[in-house]
Order: sequence, then C-alpha cells, then structure tokens
Amino acid sequence: MFSINCPYCKESRDQNEFSPAGEAFVARPENPEALSDEEWADYVFYRTNHKGDHWEQWVHTSGCRKYFLVKRSTITHEVIEEATFAEVYSEKIS
Amino acid sequence: MRLERHSSNLIDYTQPLSFVFNNKTYKGFKGDTLASALIANDVIYYARSFKYGRKRGIIGAGVEEPNALVSLEIGGRYTPNMKATEVMLYNGLSAVSSSNPNSIDFRAMIKPLHRFMPAGFYYKTFIKQKFWSIVEDRLRSLSGFSKAPSENDKDVYDHIFQHSEVLVIGGGVAGMSSALEVLSKSKNNRVILVDERENLGGELTNEFATDQSAALWYQETKDRLLEFRDEENSRLKILSSATAYAWYDHNYVEVLQTNATGQSMTHKGVQLARKLIHKIRTKEVILATGAHERPMLFETNDLANIMLCQSVRRYINEFNVVAGKEIILYGNNDSIYNTAIDLINHNIKPKVIDVRTSGNESETVIQAKDLGIEVIQGFAVRKARGKSRITGIEISKVEMQAKPPHWKSEWRMSKDVQILSCDLLATSGGFNPVVHLDCHCGGKTYFDNNSQSFLPQKERKNRQVCGAVNSIGYWKDAIIDAKNKAQLTLHSLSENSQINPQNLSNKSLNYFNIDHFFTPLEILNRPKVFIDLQNDVTTRDISLSISEGYRSIEHIKRYTAMGFGTDQGKTGNINGIAVAAKFLDSPMSEVGTTTFRPAYTGVDFGAMAGREIGDFFDPQRFTTIHDSHVINGAEFEVVGQWYRPWYYPKDGESMDQAVNRECRAVRNSLGMMDASTLGKIDIQGEDAREFLSRVYTNAWMKLAPGSCRYGLMCNEKGMIIDDGVSTCINDNHFIMTTTTGGAASVYSTLEMWLQTEWSHLDVHLSSITDQFSTVAVVGPNARELMKKLCQDVDFESQNFKFMQWRPGTVCGVKARIMRISFSGELAYEINTEANYGRFIWDEVAREGTEWNITPYGTESMHVLRAEKGFIIVGQDTDGSMTPMDVNMNWILAKNKPFSYIGRRSFSISALNADDRLQLVGLLTKDEQFVLPEGAHIISNKGISIGYVTSSYFSPALERSIALAQLKGGLSKISQTVIVKIVQEKQGLKEVPCEVSSSIFYDINGEKGDGNE
Repeated sequence: MFSINCPYCKESRDQNEFSPAGEAFVARPENPEALSDEEWADYVFYRTNHKGDHWEQWVHTSGCRKYFLVKRSTITHEVIEEATFAEVYSEKIS
Repeated sequence: MRLERHSSNLIDYTQPLSFVFNNKTYKGFKGDTLASALIANDVIYYARSFKYGRKRGIIGAGVEEPNALVSLEIGGRYTPNMKATEVMLYNGLSAVSSSNPNSIDFRAMIKPLHRFMPAGFYYKTFIKQKFWSIVEDRLRSLSGFSKAPSENDKDVYDHIFQHSEVLVIGGGVAGMSSALEVLSKSKNNRVILVDERENLGGELTNEFATDQSAALWYQETKDRLLEFRDEENSRLKILSSATAYAWYDHNYVEVLQTNATGQSMTHKGVQLARKLIHKIRTKEVILATGAHERPMLFETNDLANIMLCQSVRRYINEFNVVAGKEIILYGNNDSIYNTAIDLINHNIKPKVIDVRTSGNESETVIQAKDLGIEVIQGFAVRKARGKSRITGIEISKVEMQAKPPHWKSEWRMSKDVQILSCDLLATSGGFNPVVHLDCHCGGKTYFDNNSQSFLPQKERKNRQVCGAVNSIGYWKDAIIDAKNKAQLTLHSLSENSQINPQNLSNKSLNYFNIDHFFTPLEILNRPKVFIDLQNDVTTRDISLSISEGYRSIEHIKRYTAMGFGTDQGKTGNINGIAVAAKFLDSPMSEVGTTTFRPAYTGVDFGAMAGREIGDFFDPQRFTTIHDSHVINGAEFEVVGQWYRPWYYPKDGESMDQAVNRECRAVRNSLGMMDASTLGKIDIQGEDAREFLSRVYTNAWMKLAPGSCRYGLMCNEKGMIIDDGVSTCINDNHFIMTTTTGGAASVYSTLEMWLQTEWSHLDVHLSSITDQFSTVAVVGPNARELMKKLCQDVDFESQNFKFMQWRPGTVCGVKARIMRISFSGELAYEINTEANYGRFIWDEVAREGTEWNITPYGTESMHVLRAEKGFIIVGQDTDGSMTPMDVNMNWILAKNKPFSYIGRRSFSISALNADDRLQLVGLLTKDEQFVLPEGAHIISNKGISIGYVTSSYFSPALERSIALAQLKGGLSKISQTVIVKIVQEKQGLKEVPCEVSSSIFYDINGEKGDGNE
C-alpha cells in the first residue's frame, strides 16, 4: 500500500484514503467536433502506459477531496513527487 | 522421547499440560509446541501425503514444516491446516491430523500404480474426458488437507496500525543486536522488533549448552532491550509470536501476531483477540529473517523420522526431546557436527556421514572427532530403508570433481553399498536464507557460489539485511554484521550519524561454507526421491517436465506443483531448482527462483477480516424518518448503504399483495414515500448554469428560477452514467439530485471536471444529501393534501406547474416544494432540513388519512416508474448504453456552444449501429406470467439477442410488464420474440412476448395533473 503525501493536507497518508484518477496531462480537446474519430478515441481510450517515472492524477477521497498530481515510478512504485496542478503548471510555464 | 533436564530448555516442567491428538490423550509441558510434545510421546506419524497417501513424520521445527498439518479444535473454534510445529501447547488442546495417517487410505491402497502417476497425470488422464467433472470432486476430496470450517468463527480478531522509524524483522542474534544498536546510538528513532517465536534469541538458544558466552550475551542483550521496552515513552515495541508475512510498497509491512497462549481469552468479560494483524508503516527495514535448512536428497527420503538437522538440534536444546535413539547425521556442512556434539552432551552417541572428503576441516569437525563421534567422510546416503519409518540407510563412497565451467559438479559414486541401521536420520544440505519478504515488493535475489544459496540483492533503498539471511552463520559475526547494518540504517535516517564498520571474524565455523549441491544423477534418477514432501513432487517429476519441454522454473513449478502447499516449498524449492539446473545443465543463477509473493505463512481469514464483520462490514445509512418506517412494519432493502423501505406489509400480506395495494393507492388516491436518500449536490457560483450544461446532455441556460429540469449525464464514451432532476434556486444556485447509488461517484466526477479541466469556472459543489429530508406526496389527491399542509403556496395547477418548485412553510417548517413525478401521477416533494424529516412525515401521514394516504417503498416505486417507462440507471442501463439506446434522443441538445461531456462520441459509427441493444417494452402473451429479470431473449437460432432488465406485475394494467434491452429493438415494435427462462425443477421454458413501447400506462400523460 502506497503512502502518499497530499500536497494540500501536507501529510503522508495511506493509499486507502486516496483514489487514482488516471494519467495526468490528458487535456480534454478544446473542440471535440473538429476531431476525427481516431483522434477522439485517442483522447477517450488510449493512454501511454509509460514504463518509468509517470505523472498521474490522484484525489484525496477520504480527506480534502482535492485532485492533485503524483509522479510515480511504474517500475518500483516509488513516489518521486506530489504536487498541486498549480505548482506543476507554473513550473511548466516558467 | 523426553531427555534428561537441561538448563537450556525453554520448558516449564512445573506446568504439565494434557492434550488430545487424533483421539488419544497425551501429556506435555508449558513451553512445548504440539510437535515437541508429540515427539516426547514417541508419536511417529502425523499425516498422509497429498497425492500418494504415504505416511509421513515430522521433519522441521518451525514454519518450514511440510508434513505435520493438523486442524485444531472443533465447531466455532476449528482452525484447519496448522503446522504442529507452530502450535503452542495449552491445556485441553485438541488436534486432528489433516489427513489421518492411521486410517485406511485409498491413495495408499493403489501404491503399485504410483509409478504410473507422474506430474500432470490427472490432467493428462482426465481433462479431455467428459466425466472429468465427476472425477474432479472425488479426486479433490482425496487430497491431504483439512476440511474447510463449517461454522462461524467464534473468535475475535483485530487490526492495529503501527508506525516506526526502524522495523527489525527477526528476533534472533542479528535482529536483537541491530535493534539494540539503533536504540542506543540514536535518541528519537522508534523501533519495532518482530519475531515469530515466543522467545527472542532464535537459533542462538542452540549454542547455550556448549558456549557459555552465548548465554551471557543473550541474557545481557535481552535485558537491555527489555529496559528500552519498559522505560517511559518507550521507543521499542517487541512483537513476539508474530510473523511478518507481507511486505508491500513504501515499507508497509503486515504482521500476524498470535496471542501468547494460542487460546481464546477473555479479560473482565471482554473477549480478547486470538490473533492480531499489525499494519506497520516504517521508514527503514532491517531484515534479520535467518535461514531455513534444506534436506539432502536420496531415495525414499520421505520416510518418517528423517528430519532436518537443525530441527533435531532445536528439539534437543529448546524442548528437550528427541525422536530416536540410534541417530545418524548426514550432510554437506558443519551443522551436522554441532548437532552431533549436542547429542553427545545428552549421552546419545550419533554417527556422522559427511559428503565432503576428509582434510581441511574446521574446529567443529575436529572437536566432534575428539569427542569420539564416529565420522564417515566422503560417503553419501543412497537410500533410506524401511517401510513407513526409517530403519537404516544404504551408503556409498562418493567423490566430487568440479568441472569447468565452475558451476558444474560431477559426482562419482562407488557401486559398493554399505548398510547402517538407525531410527532417526537428520540431514542438512545447506541453508536457504529467508529472502521471501525482501522479494514481495520488487527485491531481487542472486545466487551466491560460496554459500550455494540465493541471497537478497545487496543494495536496496531503506533496507538492510544481516545475519543468516545475509549468509552469515557464526553468531558472533552476525552481531558484528547487525551492528554495521544498524549504523547504515541510522545513516539513511540521518546523514550526520557515524559509520564505523567492523570486520567479520571469518571464523571457519560457517554453515554457509558448504560444498556444491549434492546432485549425482545416480540418485536423482531413482524413484521416490522427494523434493516437495507436501505435494509429493519427486526428482523424476522435474526431469519429466523438462523432457516434456518446460524450461522456465516458473513453468516447472506449475507443472509439477512444486512449492504449492501450505509450506510454500520452504524446504523443497531450492533443492528443486538445483535438480532442475542439473537436468537443464545450466547454472543455478540462470535457472533462478520462482516468484515470492505474500503471504509468507498462512494468515487466518478471520484475522484478515478483523472487526469488519457483521454490522461493521459496511457502513449503514438511515434517513431521519427510519424509525417511523420501522413502526410501520417496513421491510428494508439496502441501496448504496442506505436502508430504504422496500414495501410495507400489512396484516400478514405477501410482498406482491403489499405492492399491489401500495400501487393502487398511488394511482387512485394518495401515497407517500421517503425520497431522502436521493443524492443531492448543492451547486453555486456564477458559472453554475454553464457547468450544468457541460455535464448534462440537455439545455440549461434558460431554466428560470423556480423551475426544475430532468437531466441525463453521460461520460466521454457517450454512455449514460446518471440521471436526476436539478432545481434552479436562482441564477447562481442549483440543486442537483442524483440516483441513490450513484451519488458519491457523480459528486467525485463533477469535482474532477471542475478541478482538473475547468478550474476557471466559478462553481462550488457541496454534498447535501444528508442535510435534507424529502417526503414525496404522490397521487391524484396530492394537491388537496398539500393545500391542507401548506398555506403560503398557491398550488393551483396553472400557478404551480409540473417541473416547478416553490418555497413554503409546511406544518410550520420552512420547505422547498418541488412538483416533480417519478410515477406519472401528480406529485410534490417536500424538502426540509433533515432534522424535521420525521415530523413532516408523520404530519403528512396524519393529515392524509382522509384520502387513506399509503406509505410505499422502493418496490412500488419501481412498478410505478416501469409502468411509465422511466429508466433506472444501473438497472435498465449498464454503462454501455447511450441516450439513443434508451430512446431518449429528445434529451440531446443540438445547439449548445460547448461540446458537452459525451457528445462527440454520439457520432461514432459504432454507437449508431442498427443492431445495438435498445430499450423496449415486453408484453407476455400470457398476461399473468411475470418474466424473471435477467432472462435472455433468444433468436430463432438460439442465440441471445437481448435480456430483460425490469419486470413486474402492473396492478394498474392488471397484467405483467417488462423492460428489456433488445438488439435493434426499436425497429421490432409489435413483433413477437421468445424469452427463454430456466424454471426450477421444470427445465427450460420458452415464453412468447410482444415487443412494445417502453411506456405502458397513461401513454399520453393525462394523469400528471391529478384530480381537479
């Protein structure tokens, strides 16, 4: 069972307080109608299934109910980093 | 038999105990295990083997034991498949062999056939036969394990969460000294020390008799540990009789602890937990799990009274018992000499047979020789003699020649055979470090040539290994190793800490300096050379699996069932790998190990469940009106943890009669229902309206304050996930209702969109399901009653229309009254603060008596809504249905600027195929016959083309009605289809039905305005 440090509560808690919410940075297309069926299916169904360090979304279900980002190794399950969306995006922009 | 008393014993002779094994009464002492007490009573046979039904004795002294499986007690205290070596004796204990060695056994009777029953025999013989299903049951009942319990467990179990900086697993020399080092070299680190035995010390106890310094060190170290444990604000927890059975991600370790007596205990009238699971989260782990001895291989090595050498030693030193008088020790390392010396100290003169030739001997070997022990070097045991128990052995001279490449060994055995008699043979083929836990979450092993064993990978984050698991056999070296590793652990916790590693003595007494695996083909090719005693896997089975083409050790394991038993191959697997390596002609490092998975030892289901049974299995939710339902005699059904009234039987009514009455009351006069469990989400903010139009398929921009609207929610795949009515309180404030079961997931999904995609929208959600109570007043007389209950609202139809809401005062309580309907009748839902729920309900019931107001439950609600063709998400849809599939194209907005969730998927061709399952009505030709829900609609080719989702008898129509998903159903209206059902004891039946519209009652919607 993972131990995850919620970036809002700022405490390490057991995984069973959290729920996974899929791969991070899968943005909803701005204009779905303009996409081909393949492009739309790519957004709805296909994920990278990356081997190695991987950003994913988690939600603190039994805590603050906030969604946030976790960078986790899919090989060792080591959590490298937990961050809010704001933190990650401001880093990305700068 | 019991030996003369000795100071090293852990037995308390002042406390004799009486117990029953296989219906015979025996005596033992406090401190005994069931196994040691039975050995003291000269019991030889403990069980029959799994496949061949061979009588088996005991071979081990701890968790590695493969043979002596017993079930304990009976009835509600019955525990199956315990190892006799793990069960601490208590007075009155009653145990039965899992497979009785003393009864006549079918498997043993077909002994001449055993050699025709190699690995895969049952599958090869039976799997393609039609009668496999008959045979399988009988074969399985023959297998050698205990019966499953038949009664509820009367014991109590519990879980405890624990946190520490350092977790030390194993309480032997290495574990004790590393724990002490961490505690004494740091000020703040909390330590948990876990050991599977009742007393700390592990195998060190064996040294006490011959090495005074060991006893001294033990006493001193133990005292210091207990001081740490007992001081104020203690940093040390010692868990004894506790097995760490699983190591999961992020240093989360689960430990099963048995209470010291193994019995059920009460304290001040409260039943105490028989077993506890400690759930430990720790920063650092020190593994000091020790090693298991592996047996030597020879023909009929499964006879009773062939034991492991260290186990014999432990029985002598700890329990003061031994299973024979004429003892031979046989092996390839120095551990046999230590056991020999201990036996001499008890005036038993053993013989020692060492595979290794003489020369280059350690102090221990020389010491044994000096004591006059007969040592036969350079010989190997070919075969054990005896019918079911050993009476002697056949030995031959043997020589090993290492060949290039270095891992290859060639054993040359002489053809001359000598016979020695004995009644107990103890063997040692080296030691297998207990690497299991380390491998549970990703640790790897490597094959170490010096110790001829698989060791845990050297470096791992937040983990150290020390002692025997690190292939260090000499106890003083284990202490040095443990201290060094404790320092590394402290360094990992705090970089400031000092590391001063000490060198090991490298004393020649080291069980891990052993010879190559003893695997001469002359022996491996013989029959009945058992590798896995519990599953009757022999060397020939392994050779067969390899000749049949299996190469991976994982496949060989599965084909032969090696290591499948309750012992998980603790004694046998590494030998099995060595044998496979020999037959494959590969080095063991390339063959590798099978995967180690939790649990390391058996864990009681009761312990896993802990307190989460019965009422604590799942949360129970009750509305504030619940007590009134109970008074009304309601039967309840559980919906998403809520206890909802199902129906209200009166005067011994059946469910059908009650539902019939309730439905007629609603259709003809007045009914009332507790609708408080529907999910309610308060949505506020400037963009609330925009938000609703993004998550629902229909339009929301023009919904005026004072109005309500039904919405259908889809996911991005275009599939229906929820529905419900949302109410506009004002432009920035809406209340969404969801299905009872979907409330939590809908709320979570909405939050996800807001937080991850639309954080710029000014919308705030909050769940208010529990804060409001809803009483629905339903039926043609609803308006009359509402006028009576509430004076400050104009209920006239043209002023308070369908799908509108009004604030008002009901019986003096502030309320929001919605005119919405899930039955097609005129209906009002009175929403008040939850605490007024019961009051409002009772007032409505009292004021409604003049219309004979009838409370109704979920079953009647279902019938009423099915008559109107209203779907229930999750019953009539299953997550693969689009709005088009349920004939609700009308709810898909065409001109919303924002492409709402799911919209893009509706144009995918697959979602528009003609043969999709579509929601239709079904009318049985026999009007009285009610279809079972789930029944399949069958094409004329006998293939399923759909299924019944809802089916009821409609009191209003006086006939049966059903909703169904039917392939291309919407184009099959008024055709006849066949529903095939299974009737109990009457076989299959075909029911002809007419496909109809899914609306059965009041098709033109004329009833919604009630009585004028």
